[in-house]
Amino acid sequence: MPLGDLISALGSSAALDAIRVTAETNALAMVLILGFGTPAAYWIARRRGAVRDVVVTLVELPLVLPPAVAGIGLLVAFGRAGLLGDTVDALGIDIAFTKVAVVLAVTFVASPFYLRTAVAAFEAVDPTLPAAARTLGAGEGRVFLRVMLPLAKGGLGAGAALAFARGLGEFGATIMFAGSLQGVTQTLSLAIYEQFDLDFDVALAISALLIAVSAVVLLSVKLMSRWHSGSGSLTLFAASSRQPT
Amino acid sequence: MSRPLALLIALVTASSLASTASAQPQQRSLTIYAAASLTEAFSSYDKAQRYNFAGSNALETQIRNGAPADVFASAAPLNTQRLYRAGIVDKPVTFTSNRLVLIVPRSNPADLHSVYDLRRKPVKLVVAGSAVPVGGYTRTVLRKMGLTSVLSKVVSQESDVKAVTGKVALGQADAGFVYGTDARPVSSQVSVIRIPAWAQPRVRYEIAVVSRSSNKAAARAWIKRLLSPIGQKALRRAGFLPIPRASR
Repeated sequence: MPLGDLISALGSSAALDAIRVTAETNALAMVLILGFGTPAAYWIARRRGAVRDVVVTLVELPLVLPPAVAGIGLLVAFGRAGLLGDTVDALGIDIAFTKVAVVLAVTFVASPFYLRTAVAAFEAVDPTLPAAARTLGAGEGRVFLRVMLPLAKGGLGAGAALAFARGLGEFGATIMFAGSLQGVTQTLSLAIYEQFDLDFDVALAISALLIAVSAVVLLSVKLMSRWHSGSGSLTLFAASSRQPT
Repeated sequence: MSRPLALLIALVTASSLASTASAQPQQRSLTIYAAASLTEAFSSYDKAQRYNFAGSNALETQIRNGAPADVFASAAPLNTQRLYRAGIVDKPVTFTSNRLVLIVPRSNPADLHSVYDLRRKPVKLVVAGSAVPVGGYTRTVLRKMGLTSVLSKVVSQESDVKAVTGKVALGQADAGFVYGTDARPVSSQVSVIRIPAWAQPRVRYEIAVVSRSSNKAAARAWIKRLLSPIGQKALRRAGFLPIPRASR
């Protein structure tokens, strides 16, 4: 199929709507992942022992769970008939079949990719540096913002890129938990699934787009790690069991 | 040897023995691609065959792309006829019929009592996509009842009728259009709102032997038995309707 046809297939309303929905939901999910994930990763990186192991296990679970299980989990937790359904309902929020449901699904499956890398990045920072900052009178907040964040930023960036790449392709949990409606909850992966029987060219074009975007994201991780080499925090699944000195 | 390792080896051996044992007695079961709505009916009618249940449109695409099916049973003539014209399946025959219903969760959160209530109330309505047979039939019903405006209340377009049923049975959605036969297995979770006879679409299920099948004699025999009183009785028991007279 010629490249020109692929690009014109991307101009179909299904593809354009899916690009918009994916961009909106993934941007929101990334805000949540970075906002809550960074302090959480910092907290985990400074803990040792059983509590840490339990927390890390919980964080890593979505990484190994089948997407279908993630979908069931979200339904049981946040579904209208789920455990938190009444609470959410009482707040006057109905998340069933809305973009919020897509954001939750993407956040759930993508966050471990950021957290794991972020924990490793914080642990790779030479512990004498924050200690020195503390002896110079810096408080914990200042140590985090002025010392730890700048030193770990290479690893945090790589983790964010990986989480973003995973979130873009989210499928199973979304279709089970958020449904599929063009322009509302139909992300790029869901659009591929629907267009597969309807218009194969559109499915092919969206697939090519996702391959290209994912390749760019992964390549940028490699380049980032080159620029930040020396911080030594970029091994994706680095053993995070370094003992503090 | 450590205990977990021994246990693992025992499990692997046991499961491989079990799989060879189950593969031995049955002589080449048929691979039947069937519309999702036939799930309960076919699996209880004949447990000896292998089934792939999904939206008829998805199955059509899979068979067109060389999926190893022996038989294709579709919820709409469109899908079988397209494959017949392309020379991919032999001549299809009609084998059963169905009717549409509107289902709501038992708790009925949107307080729906007739199809017309869809127009008045804020409703999270779930339907199948328009390429899925039941999605097409749903749009026919709404057109006949002058209710096409309620399509604006659709919150999700599902890929097959079982996905619609599941979303309503779970209580995620307020209402969904499915076949009468889909409401039965979830009758403890959903209530059925009938659709008047005059608004019912002509639902015709067609079945055909896949031309490439290496097991065509058995596939033809299976279809013949399904059309015989034995097969027809099994379908009626599952709630399907007799073959429409015009297409006999």
